Amino acid sequence: MSSRQPLPTVTPFFADKQERLSEILARYPEYGRRSALMPLLWEVQRAERHVSEARVEEIAEILGLHATEVKGVMSFYGTYHEHPVGRYHLQVCRTLSCSLAGADTLADFLEDELDLVNGETDPEGRFSLQYVECLGSCGTAPVLQVNDTYFERVSRSRCRALLDAMRRDTLPEPTLERGGDNEPNAPDQEGGAA
Amino acid sequence: MKVTVNGTVLELDPGTSAIDAVFAAGFDVPYFCSQPYMSPIGACRMCLARIGAPRKERDGSWILDESSGEPKVFYFPAMMATCTTAIMEGMVIDTLSKDVKDAQNAMVEFTLINHPLDCPVCDKGGACELQDRAYEYGTGRSRFVFDKRHQEKHHPLSALITLDRERCIHCKRCVRYFEEVPGDEVLDFIERGGHTYIGTLEDGLPSNFTGNITDICPVGALLDATSRFRGRNWEYDHTFTTSLDDASGSAIVVDARTGRIERIKSGLNPEVNKSWIDDGIRFGHEYADDPERLKRPLLRRGEGFEEVSWEEAAAFVAERLAGFSGKDVGVAIRADATLEEGVAARALAQHVGTGQLDHAPRHGPSLVPLHGATVLDVATADALLVLGDVTEELPALDLRIKDALKGVSPPELFAHGVPIADLRLKERMPRASERLAVVAPYRVDLMKYAGAAVQVPVAGEAAWLQAMAAVAHAQPADEAVLGMPRAEAESLVRAWREAQKPIMIVGGFVLASEAATEAAASLAKAVGFRQVLVPPMANGVGLEITQVLPSHARYDYQGMLGGSAKALVLSNLNPAVDPAVAERLRSCELLVVHDLFLTETARLAHVVLPGTSGYEKDGTMVSLEGRFLPVRAAPVDAGEARDLTGVVKALGEAFGQRLEGRSVRSARRVLRKELGFDPTELHRLGLLRELPRRRAIVSLNVRETVVGDSLRVPSLARPEYLGRNAHLRAALGGPALRLHPEDAAARGLRTGDEVVVPVDGVPRRLEVRVSDAVPRGVSLVPATPEAPAGPAAVALDDLVHERRALEVA
Amino acid sequence: MSDTASSAPKPITSRFDPRFEPTLYAHVGVPGSHTLSYYRSHGGYEAASKALGLEPKAVVDEVKASGLRGRGGAGFPTGVKWSFMPPVDGRQRFIVCNADESEPGSFKDRYLLEDDPHQLIEGMLIAGWAIQATIGVVYVRGEYYHAYGRLAAAIDEARAAGILGRGVLGSEFDFDLILHRGAGAYICGEETALMNSFEGLRANPRLKPPFPAQAGVYGLPSTINNVESFCAAVHIVARGAAWHAAMGTDDSKGMKLYQVSGPVARPGVYEVPMGATFRELIMELAGGPSEPAKAIIPGGSSTPLLPWSDATLDLPMDYGTMAKHRSMLGTGGVIVIPERKCIVDAYYNVVRFYAHESCGKCTPCREGSATWLPKMYQKLLAGQGTHEDLALMEDMVKHMRGTAFCPLADACAMPVQASFEHFRHEYEHLVDQGESLYPRRREWAA
Repeated sequence: MSSRQPLPTVTPFFADKQERLSEILARYPEYGRRSALMPLLWEVQRAERHVSEARVEEIAEILGLHATEVKGVMSFYGTYHEHPVGRYHLQVCRTLSCSLAGADTLADFLEDELDLVNGETDPEGRFSLQYVECLGSCGTAPVLQVNDTYFERVSRSRCRALLDAMRRDTLPEPTLERGGDNEPNAPDQEGGAA
Repeated sequence: MKVTVNGTVLELDPGTSAIDAVFAAGFDVPYFCSQPYMSPIGACRMCLARIGAPRKERDGSWILDESSGEPKVFYFPAMMATCTTAIMEGMVIDTLSKDVKDAQNAMVEFTLINHPLDCPVCDKGGACELQDRAYEYGTGRSRFVFDKRHQEKHHPLSALITLDRERCIHCKRCVRYFEEVPGDEVLDFIERGGHTYIGTLEDGLPSNFTGNITDICPVGALLDATSRFRGRNWEYDHTFTTSLDDASGSAIVVDARTGRIERIKSGLNPEVNKSWIDDGIRFGHEYADDPERLKRPLLRRGEGFEEVSWEEAAAFVAERLAGFSGKDVGVAIRADATLEEGVAARALAQHVGTGQLDHAPRHGPSLVPLHGATVLDVATADALLVLGDVTEELPALDLRIKDALKGVSPPELFAHGVPIADLRLKERMPRASERLAVVAPYRVDLMKYAGAAVQVPVAGEAAWLQAMAAVAHAQPADEAVLGMPRAEAESLVRAWREAQKPIMIVGGFVLASEAATEAAASLAKAVGFRQVLVPPMANGVGLEITQVLPSHARYDYQGMLGGSAKALVLSNLNPAVDPAVAERLRSCELLVVHDLFLTETARLAHVVLPGTSGYEKDGTMVSLEGRFLPVRAAPVDAGEARDLTGVVKALGEAFGQRLEGRSVRSARRVLRKELGFDPTELHRLGLLRELPRRRAIVSLNVRETVVGDSLRVPSLARPEYLGRNAHLRAALGGPALRLHPEDAAARGLRTGDEVVVPVDGVPRRLEVRVSDAVPRGVSLVPATPEAPAGPAAVALDDLVHERRALEVA
Repeated sequence: MSDTASSAPKPITSRFDPRFEPTLYAHVGVPGSHTLSYYRSHGGYEAASKALGLEPKAVVDEVKASGLRGRGGAGFPTGVKWSFMPPVDGRQRFIVCNADESEPGSFKDRYLLEDDPHQLIEGMLIAGWAIQATIGVVYVRGEYYHAYGRLAAAIDEARAAGILGRGVLGSEFDFDLILHRGAGAYICGEETALMNSFEGLRANPRLKPPFPAQAGVYGLPSTINNVESFCAAVHIVARGAAWHAAMGTDDSKGMKLYQVSGPVARPGVYEVPMGATFRELIMELAGGPSEPAKAIIPGGSSTPLLPWSDATLDLPMDYGTMAKHRSMLGTGGVIVIPERKCIVDAYYNVVRFYAHESCGKCTPCREGSATWLPKMYQKLLAGQGTHEDLALMEDMVKHMRGTAFCPLADACAMPVQASFEHFRHEYEHLVDQGESLYPRRREWAA
């Protein structure tokens, strides 16, 4: 009905990723094509650190939806970003167990150290900071999620070391700690598989 | 099923919702998210009640209450939303106890914490469901001491609809509406939780049916932008009438204030438009208030006009008419005139003694099919073949077709009306697209919903229909013409034959051609379709059955214009847009034009009589299904404008004759005899009648149209008034020349360019719209009352570029 | 396979009972435990082969007889849920795994997914066979990216080994998995919201009925269970219903993964028979609180807290006992709240979580959980609260309970009510003194 003003031309994200696109679409049954919506958003966000409106429209086009529907879904979830986040997107859990382990102080530390407030990206695009809710790391609290990687039992010294590494554009291997029954280096417990 | 509501026992059908049980029992419960004709979702939590039901033992017997010996009622542990609860045998519903009242108070309080209490400046004030419910069910005070949520106010969702996000109470009616009714999800919730708001990324809400959300918004969040800040609900005169914008017979409510139409809302007619109207009907009324409206009769004086009284004008016409032989006089009226106006035109023609009488536009073939179907039949069809672009031509049918795809039959009505919560309706219901086949010469909107969609060449409908009929008769058919493999065509035919209620909807492209119309009838006969024929204007059926028709084909409207009439009386017709016709009209000895505006034709007239719009007259129309519906005048200041009965009254007085049809009442005396009922007594929802089929309808003396490879296409916005409907025009754009991207590129045309291009020799000023829905080599231009839907010759080579669209950054 | 209930010896209700042997968590934390070769070398997929040799109904009956109740929090009997599936009618059927573990205090599923993904795949294969679903959907919360990767790799391995795909494990049964990643929404743990999310819609909960068995994923018959429930089914099939039912209490059978967080010596996940006491879990396994404690949240932040006391510590952790004490077992995510944590601050934290996670669909949750209640806490914590405010908060949470569309508003309101019930003096102190009884702490490990 009404005529849309054409948007400035942007090379479609999936123009050179047709194989990947087909692979994602093929995961779902034909009648469930729309299920590919979240994976496609992930795909774009992973590459571009946010999902722009042009990409929202592209995904809508791929799935035969209105852009509004894609936006409605995307904005529902906490981890899709409208604006670019940093190369190191720091997500601090402040929910109860982490809070009891000092997460609020950790959050303040990051704000001061990086001169960022919740939701900001620094001008170089290196760091961004987001407060998030429970990450399921309550037994190894507090937790700092950097992009998709968890860093657990983040003490002040560990946090400093981590920031230093990222400032040098390296991301150390995460510490895989389990706590409880299955702490790899926990005192041997009955039934534990150490 | 036996249900007890607050002690009142009643018997209701299984499947009834508890909320309808409450209303059926004569009680009230507040609700915001439920909306008739839409899925119940239980979101607003206003309709909570305490509900219990008896339970059965494993052996099927009722568990009995030891003291009474009656089945024991087990109450649900929590209060239930009555809108999403189905009744059960023996259910007990309590909406009056203190617990329930407390919960209702609490829900009102929750709902109000973020709702601005700006009722005194809100358009919805006085007609607001939240305001009413807060008075009825709230405590009258709020304990919320914080700042309310601040969000965007006056947000233009489109040129037609303004959103105030602070007022939104998240009932989701509007969001559900777009998914469930037109099926275009152009509006959605954005964000979540306390930050949720409604929004769109589609510029201007691209759907033909956006305005309905302003009717169903329970608060003042979604407002008709054309009427915002113009009046309060209690200041309006509400006139329940029938739209004359198309032949659907859609119910509308015209809200007028101090003599001016401020807005049009949807009326409720369960058998026709339910409670939905398209944007053309809703927003297309602004022309009626145009400052250029003719308010007094005009008499030619030299090159100009002089305002005169009706008596003077009529006396002039009567005197001049006396100089003609009756048979040289032609009378033609537009096909949205009422039956009463038709009677008046007929009476005038009879009086002067002419057979040159017609209504236009009309097709050659009759609009009364051999085996007709009703709108309700369409809504309950299990196989539909749509020929043409129904979404634009008769939008109300588009929605009823989508009803049929959902497969939910129209609900039984309660004493309190349409069910508030029809539990058969769900969010995101599957649509049985295999029930729908759509055939059109370009990609029409309805094809998105169709299991089979065939794009035929321009004027290729007859060949396609003949080929399908051949398939139905097991004869050879060309697959290229069928547009599908023969096996698919055969399975379509099989599905149509096996359907219980197969219906064919025949649009203007087919009716424009006698051959195609005949082919459609043959195919219908071959597979058992009943037909719905789409008239080119509102009362085509009515004017046909009341015989506002010429005595001979050569005396039809085109014949009159072609020279068979020396004196012409034209009502709301503007043939002089065609320069060739204008040239002929200049030599017309007497030209009387009855119209709302000083049109090209009126400028050539000797006498111009001010006419009334469809909102300003009383009368009767017959919709496409043969439903007789009342048209009622809203209290609008139209100066001295009169409808055609008023014209005939004035002329009759000048003749010294009391003509039939000199008033609505006198016309109805005639109609009563002919129809067997008195239109005065029509119920507002109309009367469905078996129509007389006149096989020997006078066919058209078809003008030699150059059949080009382009098309005049229908539009829900009446092109003759689009220029005077500022909001609608802003939303839809001007009358469009639609072109395939390659054709546009080849001529350096861009969307938004303004051009003048000859259409069948008539220069038309159009706005270019590039669209891949248009086939290559085809131009689509809007049909008009003078040149209805059908093939056209668009001379792109003679196109004049008037103004380039602004470069998009 | 038979039932054993009547003549069975004393049920196993302690991890220290010599008859108890960990199963669910036996391999978590072991290097390489996520690989197919490791899994197979520890008896992996034998249960699935066994199940495929049985009638589907026999598998359902076995799980019913085991007494397994859903481990996602609601505790609905798993076998009964499986039996709700309509008769096979040619329509596609789905088995769905809810791996959207997001309830604060819960983190058991994460380690199962990361370190023992084949256990889940096997459980889903067994369930798929039992309900005759040929497609399984695993919905993993978006933040569990490591788990997602491990599971994706495990699925690839399983496909290559003929464990997923056409004719699994040499049988006639086709079964495959769709792995789907969430993106940060707690509400997706609600089964119908999860289905909407999977379908590419906003994750609002759906109306029930119809229940998933009638109209689940894509409107088709579906059954949805928690990660731990699927894993438990593997061992039930392997070892028999009687083995499972020998653990636990009357209404709570089998083993369970409990999680302990908060200031304790060894926080983490512990596999314990149901009916073990808080004392065993917190004091013995987790090493006891590292500072004086005042309350226990028994099963994730939505479950009403219990005051720290000997009596509480001696309560068996099972569904019935928790209900009797007006709380819930939930996910078994135990959070220990130290004495020096201001309860108002703690519950502002809890409320803030539910405020953040409310989907916004229904009024009491959108306006109560997500808007008004957190504002009231902020007002209190700013030292500006009044006694009327306390009354208002209690009234508000009362009206949030049982009025909302889905349980999220209850999840927010119930623990607040319990905090008022047990720690009203802390709220009153804050109102009267304008500051918390226990000032905000800044401790953070160096």
